[in-house]
Amino acid sequence: MIDRLTEHRGLDSFDIRYVALILAILGIGVLSIYSVTHGQKGGVAPYYLKQLIWIGLGAAAFLVMWASDYHDLARFAYPAYAVILLMLVFVLFEGRTSKGAQRWIALGPFTFQPSEFAKLILILVLAHYYSKAPRVGWLQRVIVPGLLVLPGLLLILKQPDLGSGLSFVAVYAAMLLMVGVRSKALGFILLFSIMLFPFAWEGVWGSLHDYQRQRIMAFVDPGYDPGGKGYHALQSKIAIGSGELLGKGLYGGTQSQLKFLPEGHTDFVFAVFAEEWGFLGVLVLLTLFVGLIWLSLEIASKAKDQLGALLAVGIVAMLCFCVVVNIGMTVGMFPIVGIPLPLVSYGGSATIMTMAALGLLLNVKRKRLSLFY
Amino acid sequence: MAGSLSRGRRYVLLLLLLCGFGVVLFRLVTLQVLQAAELSAQADRQHQKTVSLEGARGRIVDRHGKILAMNVEVQSVFGVPNTVDSPLKTARQLSPILHVRTDELERKLRQDRRFVWLARKLDPEQGRRLDRLSLDGIGVVMEGRRFYPKGPLLAHVLGFSGMDGEGLEGVEHRYEPYLHGEKRMMVLQRDALGHTVFPKGMMERSPTPGHSLTLTIDEVIQYIVERELEDAVSRARAKSGTMIVLDPKTGAVLAMAVSPRFDPNAVSALSPDRWRNRALTDAYEPGSTMKAMMAAAAIEERVVSPNTMVFGEHGRMTVANTVIHDHERLGWISFAQVIQKSSNIGAAKTGMALGEHRLYRYLQAFGFGQRTEIDLPGEGVGLVRDPKDWGRRSVASISIGQEIGVTPLQMVSAVAAIANNGMLMKPYVVSEIRDADNHIIRQVPPQTKRRVISPETARSVTKILEGVVTDGTGTNAAIPGFRVAGKTGTAQKIDPRTGAYSASRFVASFAGYAPAGNPQLAMIVVIDEPLGDTQGGAVAAPVFSRVGEQVLSYLGVPSDAPITLAMASRQ
Repeated sequence: MIDRLTEHRGLDSFDIRYVALILAILGIGVLSIYSVTHGQKGGVAPYYLKQLIWIGLGAAAFLVMWASDYHDLARFAYPAYAVILLMLVFVLFEGRTSKGAQRWIALGPFTFQPSEFAKLILILVLAHYYSKAPRVGWLQRVIVPGLLVLPGLLLILKQPDLGSGLSFVAVYAAMLLMVGVRSKALGFILLFSIMLFPFAWEGVWGSLHDYQRQRIMAFVDPGYDPGGKGYHALQSKIAIGSGELLGKGLYGGTQSQLKFLPEGHTDFVFAVFAEEWGFLGVLVLLTLFVGLIWLSLEIASKAKDQLGALLAVGIVAMLCFCVVVNIGMTVGMFPIVGIPLPLVSYGGSATIMTMAALGLLLNVKRKRLSLFY
Repeated sequence: MAGSLSRGRRYVLLLLLLCGFGVVLFRLVTLQVLQAAELSAQADRQHQKTVSLEGARGRIVDRHGKILAMNVEVQSVFGVPNTVDSPLKTARQLSPILHVRTDELERKLRQDRRFVWLARKLDPEQGRRLDRLSLDGIGVVMEGRRFYPKGPLLAHVLGFSGMDGEGLEGVEHRYEPYLHGEKRMMVLQRDALGHTVFPKGMMERSPTPGHSLTLTIDEVIQYIVERELEDAVSRARAKSGTMIVLDPKTGAVLAMAVSPRFDPNAVSALSPDRWRNRALTDAYEPGSTMKAMMAAAAIEERVVSPNTMVFGEHGRMTVANTVIHDHERLGWISFAQVIQKSSNIGAAKTGMALGEHRLYRYLQAFGFGQRTEIDLPGEGVGLVRDPKDWGRRSVASISIGQEIGVTPLQMVSAVAAIANNGMLMKPYVVSEIRDADNHIIRQVPPQTKRRVISPETARSVTKILEGVVTDGTGTNAAIPGFRVAGKTGTAQKIDPRTGAYSASRFVASFAGYAPAGNPQLAMIVVIDEPLGDTQGGAVAAPVFSRVGEQVLSYLGVPSDAPITLAMASRQ
C-alpha cells in the first residue's frame, strides 16, 4: 500500500491550525454546556462530562476518517446509505420520541440519531455518484441524484426533523453547483435561496398573523414549541441581547441559568454563550467558524480528484449551513427547526458525525499530498 | 473537468458563506449592541424583583451593658402569586398559622404581582408550623425583628421601630442613622417555571449591622422608678404620671418613666397617645415648684435673703383686681418660710419685687420656654410668654407657677441646676455609640449649658429647700439618713370647657435632689389628676422618698444625716 510509505507525509497533512480551530470551538461548547447545566442533573453523568465522552468518540472517528482512504469509503457509500435508510425506517416505527419528534434509536442508556449520520452518508453518496462517471444532461445531473436524496429526505421530514431535511437539500444544492449544471444559475439560485432563507423568512414570516404562523409551525413541526407564541425565539433573543457587548460572565447568564431559555445546552447553546460572553465572545466564536470553513474551502480547492473536491464541498456546505441556520434560529431570523450548532451544541450523534466529517476533510488533504509523493 | 474546485467557484462559495455570516452578524449587532439595553431591561423584568430588607439593627444597652433592645432573626412570609395554583386552598392553609383572614390572603395571592408580603416577622412557633407545610409559591425570608427583652421597661425613652425596621419613636427614632444596619437588597429571581430562586450570595452576604447605643439609663433605677410610679398612679387613681431621675452633675438621665406604660413589642394595637413621652412632650402648669426658681433668682439678685421678713397679708392679697390666696393666714414670716410653707402671697410679692424683666431673664436662664436639647425626639418648649404680652397679674402668677407651661424635663433640669451649684447641664440619654466591632464611634461628654446662679445662691436655696422637706409641705419626700432638698407643687388644671381653673383637676408634683450636701440625684415626680388627696406633698413626695431611698442605697451613696426617730417611725 502506498499509504504505508507516505505515513510521514500523512502526518504533515495533520494541519495543526485546523485541529486547533476545532478544539477551540469544542472547548467553547463544553464551557457553555457546563455553564448552563452545572446546576442540574443530566442522568447518569453531567452533560458536560457526557459531551466530553462524545468528543472523545468523535476524536476517534476523526482519526479513523483521517487515516483511511476516502476512495475506500466512497465504495461503501451505497450500502451505507441503504443501512441508514433502514435505520430511518426503524426510527419511524420503533424510535424514541422526544419533544414530539421520533428521531432516536435507544442504545442502552444512550440514544443514537440516524439522521445526523445520514447527512455524512448522503455527502458520500452524492460525491460517489458524480465522480464515478461523467454525468451529463439534466436527467443524470439533477433528476437521478435528486431521486437518490429523496427517500432519506422524506424519512427525515416524516420524523419530523425539518433541520436535517433542509441540510440534505443544502448538500444536494452545493454538490449540484460543484459539478456544474447546464445553467449554473439554477445551482446558484438553489444554494442562494437556502443560504438566504433567513432574509426571505423574515419578510414572509413577519407579515403573517400569529395564528397563521402557529398553523404553519404546527404543520411543519408540531412538537417543538409547546408553549407557542414564539416563546423560544423571544427568550433566545432576550438572552442574546441582554448579553450586550461584554456579556454577563460565566454562570452569569440569568436567562439561561434560570431556564427561561429552553434547550440551553443543545440547540440554543449559542444564546447561552452570547449571553455570558457578549458580542465580543460572539465575534470570537464566529471568527473561529469562519477560519475553520476557510481552511476547509482551501482543502476543497486543492483536492487531487473530483471525489475529494466533492466530498470537501459537501462537508463545507453542510457545516456552513448548520452554523448559519442555527445562529439565525437563535437570533430569531429563522424558524426554529432544530439544527444543532456544530461542535458546540450538546449531542452525541451530531458531535461524532461532525468530527468524522472534519476527519474526512483532512483525509482529502492527506490524499492530495500522498499523490505527489 | 478539473478535479479541483475552480477559482471562480471557490469565490462564489466564499461569497455565499460570507453572505450568510454577514446577515447573522448584522442581526447580532442589532441585538447585542443596538437593542442591548432594551433587551437587558426585558430580561430583568422577566426574572427579577428586588425587595429591600433592613440590615440588623444595633442594640441598645443601659449604662452597665444590660440589653434593652435587640434584634432577633425571624421569618417573614411572602407569596409569588403567579406560581400559586390554588390561592383559596393556599390561603386556607396559611390563615390559621399567620393569623390573617383567609379572604385577605386569597386577595393578596390573586394579585397580578410578582411578590407580596403575606406576614412579616413571625413568631418562631409560627415559623415552625409554616416550615411543615412547604407550599408552592410561598417563600420565607429571614428578617430582623426588634425585640425589647424587658418589655415595657423604658419604653417611652426607647421608642420602637416599624415593620421595615425604621425607628419610629424615642431613641430608636432619634438615633436611626446610627442604629439602622446596611440595607440588604434581596433580589428574587424567578425561573421560567415560576419558582422563586434565591441566588447564592445574595442572602448569605451578611450586611453590616447598625451601631449600638449605650444609654445613661440605669436599668435598676429605671425599674425602681417605674414600679413606684405605677404604684403611686394607681393608688392615687391618677390619669397618668411622670418621673425623671437625673445625675445633676452631668445631666445624664438615669431614669425616665411615664405611666401608664406600654410594651414596645406590641405597639400596633395602641394609640399614639400611649407611647408619647410626656416627660418631655407635654407642658403642665408647675404651680409651687416654680417658687424654687423664683427664690433662686430673688436671692441671686439680692432682692431678698432667706431671712428677709415678708408679710403674709393674712392669707389674702389683691393683685390687679384678682385675689391671691394662701392655705394659711400668715403674718410676718421669713423668706425661707415663704418657700417652706409655699406661701403664694409671699412668693408673688417677692416676684413683683424682682420685676418682670429679671424674672423673665431667670426663667430663660433656667431653661424654661426652650428645649433642653435632650437627645430624644418630640421635645416640647412649654409656654413662656414674652413679657410684653404679660398682663398686670402675670409677674405674680408666674412667681407661683401659673401662666406658665413647663415640661417635667425642663423642671427637673432647672432643679438639677440648683443642685449642681448653679450650673445648668444639658440632659442626655445616650452616652456612647459603638460600631458592630464594639469600637467606640462617639462618646458623649456631659455638656454645661450655662451658669444660672452663683454657688452661694445655690447653697442658700438648697438650705431653704431642705427646710421644705424637714418642716414644710414636703415632709413626705424625706429619705432616712439623707438630707433632701425639694419643692412641692400642686397646680389646678385649666378646665378646657370653662377656660378657668378647675376645682377638681390638679397636677401634683415634687421636684428635688438628694443628698443635699452632695447631690447625686435630681428627681421630679408629676402625678396628673390624682383623685382624693391632690396635694403634691401627699401624692408626689412619697414617690420621691421611696425611689430616692432605694436608689441611694443601690448606688451605695453614704448617708449625710442621722436617721431621726420621726423618720424611723414613718417606716
